This record gives sequence, structure tokens and C-alpha cells, in this order.
Amino acid sequence: MSTITWAERRSLAVWRRRGSKVLVYVALLAVTVIMLYPFWLMGQASLRSLPQYYLGRGFSLTTWHALFAALPIGHEMLNSTLITLSSILVILAVSTTGGYALGTLRYRLSGLVFLVVLASMMVPVQSMIIPEYINLAHLGWINHYYGAIAVYSALGAPFATFLMTTYFRRLPEDVIEAALIDGVGYGAVFFRIMLPLAVPAIVTVAVLQFIQIWDDLLVGLLFLQTPANRTITVGLETIPAQHFQNFPMEMAGSLVSALPAVLVYLIFQRYLIRGLTMGMSK
Amino acid sequence: MGILFTLPVAALIGTLLLIPIGQTVYYSFTNWDGFTSQWIGFAAYRHLFQNPEFVTVLENNAVMVLAIPIAIALPLGVAFLLNAQLRGWKFFRSVFFLPTAVSWVVIAFVARRFFDPDKQGILRSLLDHTGLGFWHPDLLAHEHSALIAVMITFIWSVFGTNMIIFLAGMSTIDQEIYDAAKVDGAGSFMVMVKITFPLLKRFVQFAFVISLITAFSALFSLIIVMTNGGPGYGSTTLEFFIYEQAFTENNFGVGATAGVILFLLVFAVSMVQMRMLRSDE
Repeated sequence: MSTITWAERRSLAVWRRRGSKVLVYVALLAVTVIMLYPFWLMGQASLRSLPQYYLGRGFSLTTWHALFAALPIGHEMLNSTLITLSSILVILAVSTTGGYALGTLRYRLSGLVFLVVLASMMVPVQSMIIPEYINLAHLGWINHYYGAIAVYSALGAPFATFLMTTYFRRLPEDVIEAALIDGVGYGAVFFRIMLPLAVPAIVTVAVLQFIQIWDDLLVGLLFLQTPANRTITVGLETIPAQHFQNFPMEMAGSLVSALPAVLVYLIFQRYLIRGLTMGMSK
Repeated sequence: MGILFTLPVAALIGTLLLIPIGQTVYYSFTNWDGFTSQWIGFAAYRHLFQNPEFVTVLENNAVMVLAIPIAIALPLGVAFLLNAQLRGWKFFRSVFFLPTAVSWVVIAFVARRFFDPDKQGILRSLLDHTGLGFWHPDLLAHEHSALIAVMITFIWSVFGTNMIIFLAGMSTIDQEIYDAAKVDGAGSFMVMVKITFPLLKRFVQFAFVISLITAFSALFSLIIVMTNGGPGYGSTTLEFFIYEQAFTENNFGVGATAGVILFLLVFAVSMVQMRMLRSDE
């Protein structure tokens, strides 16, 4: 090594850095292909009829026609939209008020209530879904929008309330105290001061829940069993049973069902990332 | 006043989460069939643990844990590459995180085709094109390998989430530490091993717990579409067993007992996590 001049050594280092940069890009592109492949597959396979798919070439809209003939896609999308948005509204209503109470107002037992909220975050769906199903069946809430909305809201509320509570805790208290001293009521403080300040946290909760509820299968499978009220994800799951081994149709259905959540992801990605990282900082 | 604002969330969580979990605990000691139930006490748990199928299910859960180190190591390495903020790193971050937006049903459809051994199978054509065409594994067809296919799919799905967690962690590390290391002549591999990883301990723990909870309680949709728990009980995990016992076998009591076991497992993991976070502060 001692025979190499300083200039030579520097150019060697430059080359090594360039080489490793190329390697890094190769690795990143490989991961990109692995991550995007399913989306490409959805587009490609759905544009082939079943024989074309097995042949491996040709394009047609046969599969798309068959999909819309086999499933009430429009209706299922509407169901998904109504159920998802209603659940988000309920979750936002209870988590902002709850977060305001537990994060800002606080009272004698609010610490304990917050602990209960934390604990209910850890309840796995499967551990409560059996009695939940029986209870709502007794009430006659199966196969109604409101049954599913109630379950989705309850499942989403703990984390949303946790997020809102920690968010409100960080807001400066003197603003609120000043408003209260000025004779503004608790309700007015909530609506005029707290809610506008909480918009970023509200968007975060809405985006997280949108993806969660839109993509859910289990609750839909149990609480929305008829084609008239089931969501697009539940409808999608029935394709293999109806059309055995029809992969192009599975992919066409997948594409339709994935589109809204992917769009929400692309538009609100920043908030999604924030929600994820907020979950760990307390 | 605060109590008044707490009421809506308390009513919702109380009636639709806490009461049902209480019922699950109660019914776990009975032979509930959905309509009537008789108290049989701890015999319910004894029966469950003597059930060889249930033992298989628990073993499957234990095997799932083995996927987690990989589900952490891969995104950790890629996050390290992205953290250098090369040109276009934000694009890569968006792409790698994208599967988070896609439902398990869609992922399961693609995964089934991926592992399919017929000519359209993606894994098979990959093997064919790389000169490994003599080997056509059919993971989904065998009791002892179906779970491996589920685990591989799981690793793919949680990749983005864990990567985001690690990127968030890396952004908390002071740039000056890196600069100092460079001045001292540390190569990027040394920086990764000696500086980045130790400072990320808390984030690795968090990713571990999130991945474990996902593996134990969020893969129902993946499993029902991809393998339906089979062949045999080969890919039935605890959460799938609960659903199956209750809603296809009408053994609501057994489902409740298994539900309590799952709850205890997830709760224990979460408590360990909380402890760790607290001890670090």
C-alpha cells in the first residue's frame, strides 16, 4: 500500500464510493420491484381473459366485464364508503372529546381512565369478537350498516383517543386557561380552540382508520353477510368461491378494491407516517 | 366537566370492547354453544391444552415468532441505505411503504399465485429462469410448509411499516455523531454496526412488539384466503383457531377459552414493551 501515491489513493476512494452508490441503487431497485410487482400483476392479469392469461399474452376487457357482471361492484364500493366514513366520524367524535377530557381538562380519575383506554388498545379482535357477535345478533344488528359501524368504531376508538390525548397534552395550557378565565365555556373552548388546533391529529386518525376499515375482512365477514350490505373487501373474498381458479378476475377485483385506500395513502402519506411514529412516543 | 366529555368514548369502549372481553373470560370457563352454557371451570382450559390440535396451533404461533427477526433485519438494512438520503430516497420510501395500504385479501390472492406450483406460479417461473427449474417447491400443499409461505408473505407485508419506524428512529440520531465518526475514519459499515444500531434499540423493540402483535392477531384475513388454515392444521394460528372453533365448528366455549389465551399472550407482550420504554426514560 505504501507505494500508492496520495492522488492514486484518493481516486481509488472516489471509485469505491461510486461503486457502493451503484450497489445501493441496485439493492433499492430490487426492493422496488418486489414491492410493486403485485400492482403490476393486478393491472396485467386483469386485462387478460382467462385463456389469454394461461397463454401468457394478449389483452382484452373480458375479465372486467365478467367482474362487473358477477359482483355488484358499485354497490359494494358505496357500502364500503358509507361504513368507513361513518365509522371515522364516530371515532373522531369520541376521540376528540375524550382526548380533550383526558389530555387537557383532567379530573380526579382521568389517569385511571387513560390507563383503561391504553389497556383496551391491546385487546385482540378475536378475543372479543365472539360475544360481540352474539350480543349484536341478539339486538338484531347483524347485516345492518350500524352494526358494523359500531364494531369498527369501538375497535378504532382506543388508539384514536390515545393519540388525541397525547396530542392535546402537548398544547400550551395557558391559552386554554386564559379562555376559561375570560368566561368562555368548556364547550366553546373545545369547538373554537381545541378542534382547530387538533386538525393534524384529526387527519392522522382519519387516514389510519380509513385504511384499516376499508381493508378489513373479519368484521365485515361476520356482521355484513348479504350481498346488499357487504363491503368491497368482503365481496372480493367471495370471488374464488364463485369463480374457481379465475386469477384475472381476482386481480381485477383487487385493483378496484385497493384503489381508494392507495389513493388515500398517496395523498395523506405524511399523516400516516406521523400516526405510526406517534404511536411509540408517549 | 371532564367526565362529561369522557362519556362518549367510555360508553363506546365499555359496551363494545370491555363487556365482550369480560364475557369471553366468563364463557372461557363454560361449554358455551352460542345459546346455552354450563360452568365447567378450569376443566375447559385442561381440555383445551389436552387437545392435540390446539398444541399444533400453539406450535404454529411459536414458529411465527421466528419470522420476526427477518421482518426486522431486512427493513433495518434498507432504512440504513435510505437514511443516507441519496437522490430519490423519498420515492423509495413511498414505494416500500405502499403495501400498508393494501388489504390482506389482495395480498393473499397474489401470494397464492406466487407459491402456486403450476406454470403460472411466480416462484416457479423465477426458479425456471434462474436455472433452478429442477426444483418446484409446493409450499402451500404440505402441512409442514404452508406456514412458511404465510411467514414469507407476512415479512413482505410488514416491511414498509418497520422501515418507517427505523427511519423515524434514525432521524432522531444527531448528525454530528456521524460526522465525528467519519473524521475518525469509520467506514459506513462500522457506522451502521457501532453507532446506528445501538442508538436504535428502543425502535427495534417497538418494531418487534408491533410485528409480534401483527403476527398473532392481524393475519386472520391473510390465512383464511391464502390457506384456510390448512393443510390440516398446518397454518392455523391461535387467532384463526378461535374464529374456526366459534364460527365454523360452533364450539363457542372453546373459542372463548382460546380467546383468553390470545388476549393474555398479546397483553403480556405489550406489558413487556411498556416496561422497556419506561426503563429507558
